Amino acid sequence: MSRRGAIARAAAGVVATLAAAVALTASDGGPSVEPGALVTMVGVEFQPDSVVIHAGETLEWRNDSKLTHTVTADPEKAAVSEHVRLPEGAETFDSGNLAPDESYRREFAVPGVYEYFCIPHEAAGMVGKIVVKPAK
Amino acid sequence: MRTRRTLMTALAVTLTTFGTAHAQADLEALVEMAPYRGYLAAHAGLQDPPPLLGGPVTVEISQDGGGVFVGLPDERELDPDVFGTPEMPRAFAGTPGINGVPPPARGIEGGRYTEMKTKSPFGDAHVTMGGASLSIDAVDATAVDGANSDDRVSFQATWEDDAGNAYAVRCCEMLATRGVEFPTFGGVVTNHVLHGSTRIGTALMPTEYVYFAFWGMGEVLKNGEVVAAPRLVHGMLTEYVRAEGYSLASDREVTPNRTHFHLMVPPMRPDMEAGRFVHEDVPTGFTLPNGMELPFWHVMFENLDVRATRGGGTAGR
Ligand SMILES: [Cu+2]
Repeated sequence: MSRRGAIARAAAGVVATLAAAVALTASDGGPSVEPGALVTMVGVEFQPDSVVIHAGETLEWRNDSKLTHTVTADPEKAAVSEHVRLPEGAETFDSGNLAPDESYRREFAVPGVYEYFCIPHEAAGMVGKIVVKPAK
Repeated sequence: MRTRRTLMTALAVTLTTFGTAHAQADLEALVEMAPYRGYLAAHAGLQDPPPLLGGPVTVEISQDGGGVFVGLPDERELDPDVFGTPEMPRAFAGTPGINGVPPPARGIEGGRYTEMKTKSPFGDAHVTMGGASLSIDAVDATAVDGANSDDRVSFQATWEDDAGNAYAVRCCEMLATRGVEFPTFGGVVTNHVLHGSTRIGTALMPTEYVYFAFWGMGEVLKNGEVVAAPRLVHGMLTEYVRAEGYSLASDREVTPNRTHFHLMVPPMRPDMEAGRFVHEDVPTGFTLPNGMELPFWHVMFENLDVRATRGGGTAGR
């Protein structure tokens, strides 16, 4: 991976983290539909590629690229089954195709570590991780 | 034009590594050594090439919307599984870039090949573009190369840059019923391994299983105007040959249980009489960040709907 790519990713991660912080602030005392964090899809990357939320919070993915992506955590749909990880008792999920500018939201009830991928770009390394901590 | 020279694919290899008269003779010899010369000679005049075993395969491939990956000029890492070692080189014969890579065009470090010294359409560099569509209707009926073929291809692809310019490629008024330096199987081939170590198509792409591929003469368009025709157009539906960060895979990085479609309009023109390729940039009308015009199209479609039937039946539809 090039250094430029890493810097761009880090910068984008900061932006996403700030966006998440804003979203978290907005959700304090607000309606529970506000996402606990925002993950954007840029090129063939989830940014940030790892997020931490609390059980009961909603995560939002937004497709900021020109490509069609998915948010998928189903070992049966994976090219490499190790790209999927679900905590005991958590259900598999799949956003279906997300066209440019489309979003997908999902609430996470079960704490633990989740790993997911994008169906078309799994082999190009488009994978992500969610750590769901116990409810606050 | 210095910038053009440093960027171009096969010709750049020719110019930088075969500048002298003596070296030019070496290049002629290399091109003559293209591995399928004898095979092609045996098939070139075949008037009634035999049909595909089990009957014709009909293929429909489409993408409706979404984006594409557009390959940009880049250096290609030389996979030892394909290119061998400096002591035991492989895949060197044929027209540079479109078939093999001549040893003088290969970087060497620590007794191993590193990357090709000049840029080509086959590397990691790319941009994404939106507004994409792809529509293919094809039949693979003829098994081998010949003077004619029952294979058929109707191909149309479009995509748009950030400035709103629309690019398109249409094919094929005429199919390449026989190959110039490697076989084309009547113009359409299904269920075959190509590229890399097969020496069918450029060795700069990894060895890959190809569900469907074609070679023919088509048109290149920008904003509805034909900017180049006839141009050699090659398309193929393959197993997935991109790795981490969309880098072009080595043979060991190929993902067998994913597919994508590749469109290639190379900066080369086939000269059937001479049995070789001649350099000719594609006037794509797309300007690279360095101000140069992209001299080829190498476009990947990855949100596909694929249907195929064999032997005229309806199984698998
Ligand atoms: Cu994706």
